[in-house]
Amino acid sequence: MSEDYPSLAHAFVDGELDLKSQLELEQRLATDPALRQQVDEIRALRQALREHAGYHAAPDALRRRVAALGPAAPDLPPVARAAPADLARRWLQWRPLAAGLGLAAVVMVALQLAWLQPSRNDALAEEVVASHVRATLGQRLVDVASSDLHAVKPFLSSKLGFSPPVAALPLEGSQLVGGRVDYLDGRPVAALVYRQGQHDVDAYVWPSSETDRAPAFGTARGYRFAHWSQAGMTHWVISDLNERRFQDVVRALQQVGGER
Amino acid sequence: MSDDETWRRFEAIALPHLDAAYNLARWLTRNDHDAEDVVQEALVRAMRYLGGFRGEGARPWLLQIVRNTCWSWLKENRPAERQAFDDDDGEPAWHDLAAPAGDEPPAVAMRKADRALIDQAIAALPTAFREVLVLRELEDLSYAEIARIAEIPIGTVMSRLARARALMRGALAPAVRPVLRPVPKVAQNGGTP
Repeated sequence: MSEDYPSLAHAFVDGELDLKSQLELEQRLATDPALRQQVDEIRALRQALREHAGYHAAPDALRRRVAALGPAAPDLPPVARAAPADLARRWLQWRPLAAGLGLAAVVMVALQLAWLQPSRNDALAEEVVASHVRATLGQRLVDVASSDLHAVKPFLSSKLGFSPPVAALPLEGSQLVGGRVDYLDGRPVAALVYRQGQHDVDAYVWPSSETDRAPAFGTARGYRFAHWSQAGMTHWVISDLNERRFQDVVRALQQVGGER
Repeated sequence: MSDDETWRRFEAIALPHLDAAYNLARWLTRNDHDAEDVVQEALVRAMRYLGGFRGEGARPWLLQIVRNTCWSWLKENRPAERQAFDDDDGEPAWHDLAAPAGDEPPAVAMRKADRALIDQAIAALPTAFREVLVLRELEDLSYAEIARIAEIPIGTVMSRLARARALMRGALAPAVRPVLRPVPKVAQNGGTP
């Protein structure tokens, strides 16, 4: 009877059940119309809230007040955002002088990016490790447990604003366990969960404007990770596999990531 | 750390979550102007606590500060609103709170609800339920993250969320307002042979 499991229905809809309870509840759904109705209603409410409830984004007035909290920086964000348009206009008006200025600006931006990137990736690596540890030690490895690509992909696409590449890996002993929605780098991302032998592999994907770049490998707290950009997507992969196996997985992911 | 460095770290950690911070404050104070004041104060606090931030979960970290700032603000400015409520009076069973009346299923009514009705229903929730619902449905945070932000056990997150949703259901499917009705015993026990 569903009244025996009131919170369970909510946790089920919220993807907060461990795999075992999730499967048990799915089975019960088939035979318990009251539970099915409750789950359906929670989903309806959830959909209504997500689609229609007012989301209050920070107004500009607040952004200006926040900027004023910082050291008297000369309005960095607006200038940075307007830079390409400005440069183009100046280029046309002051061609000779602008060449120098423009070049200097480009070099500075490039240098800044070059300096910023590693520290940003360090922070991201920490986030990835934390997410992976949470998922593997905790209960929520997958939101959708299925080795069926055609179940995992639509689930993720419907929850995210993009459609991640989802594929089985052409590797012996590799199995797609499912997917979940995670939060990295300040945005929701797709996490595909593979099992390679006894090891869990989390493959995170989200769209980015980065140009393609080859995998960079690293280790943190005993885990191996790799990240690269391919076909407009940023990929981060993490696992406790050994180095050779891990490289195989990364290669396989690159291969299927390029095929979609 | 120099002021410049502190600010840059703060910009990188906290400012990406400014929308989330404002959204939470706006839903808790239910007023644009107050929400701006509260967020600003919360950010000043956050900058002070920056040294204690360990690099994991910037959004829950910031939202926890925003949430606490909101509650102190409410305590000072709207003491009447901090209604006493009892977490322990159990969850309302989903079907007790609003019984399907027969004509329109609640799921249909809820899917059809428009923004004005939904916003009004959220605003009418007791604050402690409202915050859990907003964090879950609008910010898509996990139970563990909500527990951290609201400083309550996960079990309480679950019961408050269930309660908030049951109240929303009652508000959005008004055709099926709480009605005490006899429960046909046979239908309820149908599952077990």
